[in-house]
Amino acid sequence: MALNKVGDPIIRVDRLYKTFPNGVNALVNFSGHVHRGEVVVIIGPSGAGKSTFLRCLNGLEEIDSGTIVIDGIPLDEKKKNRLEIRKEVGMVFQQFNLFPHMTVLDNVNLAQIRVRHKSREEATQTSMELLNKVDIADKAAAFPDQLSGGQQQRVAIARALAMMPKVMLFDEATSALDPEMIGEVLDVMKNLAREGMTMVCVTHEMGFAREVSDRVIFMEKGTIVEMGTAEHFFENPAEERTRLFLSQIL
Amino acid sequence: MNRKLKITTLDVVILTLLLALAAYVVYRLTMQLNYKWNWGILPQYFFYIDEETGRWVANILVKGLWTTIRLSFWATLLAIVFGVVTGLMRISKRLFWRLIGASYVELIRNMPPLVLVFIFYFFVSDQIMPLLGVEDFVRSRPDNVKNLLTFLFASPQQFTAFTSGAITVAVFQGAYITEIVRAGIQSIEKGQWEASYALGLTWGQQMRWVILPQAVKRVLPPLTNEFINTIKYSAIVSVISIQELTFQGMQIMASTYVTIEVWITITAIYLLICFSLSMGVRKLEVHLARSEA
Ligand SMILES: Nc1ncnc2c1ncn2[C@@H]1O[C@H](COP(=O)(O)OP(=O)(O)OP(=O)(O)O)[C@@H](O)[C@H]1O
Ligand SMILES: [Mg+2]
Repeated sequence: MALNKVGDPIIRVDRLYKTFPNGVNALVNFSGHVHRGEVVVIIGPSGAGKSTFLRCLNGLEEIDSGTIVIDGIPLDEKKKNRLEIRKEVGMVFQQFNLFPHMTVLDNVNLAQIRVRHKSREEATQTSMELLNKVDIADKAAAFPDQLSGGQQQRVAIARALAMMPKVMLFDEATSALDPEMIGEVLDVMKNLAREGMTMVCVTHEMGFAREVSDRVIFMEKGTIVEMGTAEHFFENPAEERTRLFLSQIL
Repeated sequence: MNRKLKITTLDVVILTLLLALAAYVVYRLTMQLNYKWNWGILPQYFFYIDEETGRWVANILVKGLWTTIRLSFWATLLAIVFGVVTGLMRISKRLFWRLIGASYVELIRNMPPLVLVFIFYFFVSDQIMPLLGVEDFVRSRPDNVKNLLTFLFASPQQFTAFTSGAITVAVFQGAYITEIVRAGIQSIEKGQWEASYALGLTWGQQMRWVILPQAVKRVLPPLTNEFINTIKYSAIVSVISIQELTFQGMQIMASTYVTIEVWITITAIYLLICFSLSMGVRKLEVHLARSEA
C-alpha cells in the first residue's frame, strides 16, 4: 500500500545534531526523508529523541548542525522561511494545548484569521467542516475545559488542519488519554492518513503503525537504528535492539 | 459564590469591642482634651451657593476629589503602559532588555516614593518640561482646547505640576505592575506558546491573542491592588502643590482647625473610591470567570 501513493520527498533532514545545554545528545547524525503522502511512525524508548526530532522540524527546538528542508524551504535563520514552515507544518501535542479562554470554534478559527487573513465567515465555514470531520461540531460553542480529553484532542487536530498544512506531526497524541478515548482519536488520524496527508507520528500504538503506516522508524539515543515497513518490523526486524524493544512493548 | 452572611458570637464580640474603642476615642477627645466637634463647617467645602448667580458651585473638596480621580486615572493608564513594556523586557531573551527592566524595578522598589516625587518635580518638571515648552504650548491653545485640557488634565498654571505628578506616580506604580505582568506571563503554560507558535502566529500575535488574555485574567486581583495603591499614592503629590484631595484637606485644616473632622471626611472619601473600584473589578472578575465556564 505504501509505495503507490507516496511522492517526492517533502521533508528532507540531513545529519542533524542536537545537544541540550545539560549535555544530553538528543539527536546524533539523524538523516532521512519523508515523502509526500507518506505516513511515518517513529518508535523508540523514552529519551530516544523522538519528540526532539519532531520539534526540530517546525523550529520549536533549534538544531546545532545539519539541514532541514520542508517542501523546498530550508529551515534556516531567516524569519520568513521559519514562518512559512510553521504555516505548512501542523502539530498535535500530547497535552492538546487548546487555548482555554476561547471556544472550540475560536480555537480553530484563530490561525485562519490571524495568520491566513481569512474573514471570520470564511474561517468559520472551514472550521465547521473540520469540526464535522473530527465529529465534534456540536461542541463548537463549548470551552475546552468542558470537553473530555479525547474530544479536546480531536479539536486540536482540527485546529492544526485549519491551516491546511502539508505535513502533520503527532507527538504521542493519544498518550495522555484514558483508554476508552484512544480509539476515537486514532480513528481521526487513520482517516487523515487514508486521505493522503503526510504524517509523522510518534506513538506507542502498534496497531495504528501496522494499519496505516508506510514506514516505521525505530530510534534510540538520538539516531535511527532501523527503518522499514510495518510488516518488516513486526515480523522480521533485523536489529537485536529493535527486537528487544518490540518484545517489551508488544 | 453564594456565600451566606453568617454572624457568629465571635463577630458580635469583636464588633462590640470595636464600637467600645471608637466610643472611648470620642470620649477622650471630647471630655479630656475638650475637643469641640464642628461637623457643620464641612458641607460648604463640598458645595456652596454662589452669591452672585445663586447657584450651587463645587468647592475645594469636590474639586480636590476630581483632581485625585484625574490624577489616578492618568497615572494608572501610564503605569499600565510602563508595566507592560518593562514586564515584556523582563522576560525578553536578550540580556540587555532584561537588565533594563530589572534595573527599573529594583531602583523604584528601593526608593521612598516621596524622594521620587521630589526628583521628578525639581529635575524633570523644572528642567525638562520648560525645555519642551509644554506650558507655553497649553497656554497658546485656543480657549475651547484649553478648556478641554483643563477638564482632562489641569489648568494651564497647574499643568506642569499635574503631569509630572501623574508621571511620578505612574513610574512608581509601573515598577510594581511590571512584576505582576512578568509573573502573569510566566504563569502561562509552555504548551500555549508552543501550540500558537506551531500554528504560525508571530510573537506579537501569540501575546495579543493567546498569552495576555489568559495572563490578565490571572493577575486581575493583584493588579486591582496596584490600582488602589495608585489612588492612595496620588496623595503624595500634594507635596508639590497639586490640589488633589489630601492637599485640599490640609488647606481646610489650616484655615479652620477642625482637624479630626477633616481627616475623617478625607478618609471616608478615599475609602469610598477605593472600595467602589475593587467592587467594580470583582464584578469584572466574575464576568470573566463566567465567560470561561
Ligand atoms: N529542554 C530540554 N532540556 C534538556 N534536556 C532535554 C530537553 N528536552 C529533552 N531533553 C532530553 O533529551 C533526550 C531526548 O528527549 P525527547 O523528549 O526527545 O525523548 P523522547 O524520545 O520523546 O522520549 P519520551 O518517549 O519520553 O517522550 C532525553 O534524554 C531528554 O531528557
Ligand atoms: Mg516525547
